[in-house]
Amino acid sequence: MVLLINTTDDTGVTGQLRELLEKTGTNFEIVQTAGMKINPCMGCNHCWLRTPGICSIRDDYETVLKRIIGAGQMWVITDTALGFMDHKGKNIFDRILPITTMYLHFRNGQMRHVPRYPVLPDVGIIFRGEADRAYLERWTERAALNFERKALGVFRSDEIREAVACMR
Amino acid sequence: MHAVIMNGSPRVRKHSNTDRILARFLQGMTEDGSTFEQYEISDRKQWERARTAFQHNDRILIALPLYVENIPGLLMEFLETLIPRGGDATLSFILQGGFAEGAQLRCGEAYLEMLAGRLGCRYGGTLVKGDNFGIRLTEGKEQERITAPYREMGRVYSREGSFFSEECRKFTGPETFPFFTRLLISVVFRMIARKRFARAARAWGATRPLDDRPYGGRGV
Ligand SMILES: Cc1cc2nc3c(=O)[nH]c(=O)nc-3n(C[C@H](O)[C@H](O)[C@H](O)COP(=O)(O)O)c2cc1C
Repeated sequence: MVLLINTTDDTGVTGQLRELLEKTGTNFEIVQTAGMKINPCMGCNHCWLRTPGICSIRDDYETVLKRIIGAGQMWVITDTALGFMDHKGKNIFDRILPITTMYLHFRNGQMRHVPRYPVLPDVGIIFRGEADRAYLERWTERAALNFERKALGVFRSDEIREAVACMR
Repeated sequence: MHAVIMNGSPRVRKHSNTDRILARFLQGMTEDGSTFEQYEISDRKQWERARTAFQHNDRILIALPLYVENIPGLLMEFLETLIPRGGDATLSFILQGGFAEGAQLRCGEAYLEMLAGRLGCRYGGTLVKGDNFGIRLTEGKEQERITAPYREMGRVYSREGSFFSEECRKFTGPETFPFFTRLLISVVFRMIARKRFARAARAWGATRPLDDRPYGGRGV
């Protein structure tokens, strides 16, 4: 399943994605977070040490998290700020902490947290606005390490066809 | 020298590792008479005053924990509200994280260099160091052992106003661990750390195993 998480308030991009993905017969799901309450992670560590796998912030992120677990791909559609994704996009990633455990192991020579679930998605980004694309690509490669999966790439919102070509 | 210090951690000050690091760092920094004012990004009530301080001072230091390879979302939200300076201020960073290898913090560091420019500031370098997760789980002497090295870095910052010196570069420690070190860490982890984590979890009131899957094998 391809999970599309739209953190912008523009439903135009997801409209296009829907149309193209229906044509290719891809199994997908769209989550619009514009109307949702999604707070920033505040680093309480309860999801590791007190209530393993469950975030202490009881807001709308739980429905997003449940969908991330078990998805084949996860695409975050985000606005940009200061050359990077804006805080709404970043919050989606910061709040993934419950998908990892506190346990550590080495992966490709680096220390990483052991994932909590066997099936986690590859990660792609679609951004709207100005950003340092080379940096976003570098960052997405790193962010995907938390899922122990691969990065699918970084696309501008006017490159939807290129992004869809990577969705399956 | 007078510096504006911001703790960019979303974690409340009482529990923030960055706060413990800053406390040591500021001891060193103030030894020669340097002064500072400090703001907590975790407390939204301080944002207005922090913005004003950013606007009117020429030496600014943001200390932050790495959050998923970059700055925490909450800090990003704050920074989005700043009016960029006109190149008349120096912005430096203390970047700290949980993973121990220096290489794990480089992606975040690269962003901070870009960020200084985007905020219209001269870049004053980043003091990079990992292996700080444990601060919160330790007390007294053990905690002091982790944070003490930051005192010397505070002296350097007071003297030079930046983190470009060789001393600061070396402060990071090893970029990666060689094979045998990794092997050793893995063994120690299996024998000691897991038990320690389990003990911490019991103290925190956990009733399920730390690797439990509350949303089932595949979720939903
Ligand atoms: C959501 C989240 C993401 C994190 N991501 C990273 C990371 O990518 N790399 C790393 O080394 N540490 C990471 N950490 C660990 C923190 O940087 C580390 O525990 C830090 O000492 C916390 O400082 P604080 O208590 O001042 O917030 C993360 C912690 C949280 C809560």
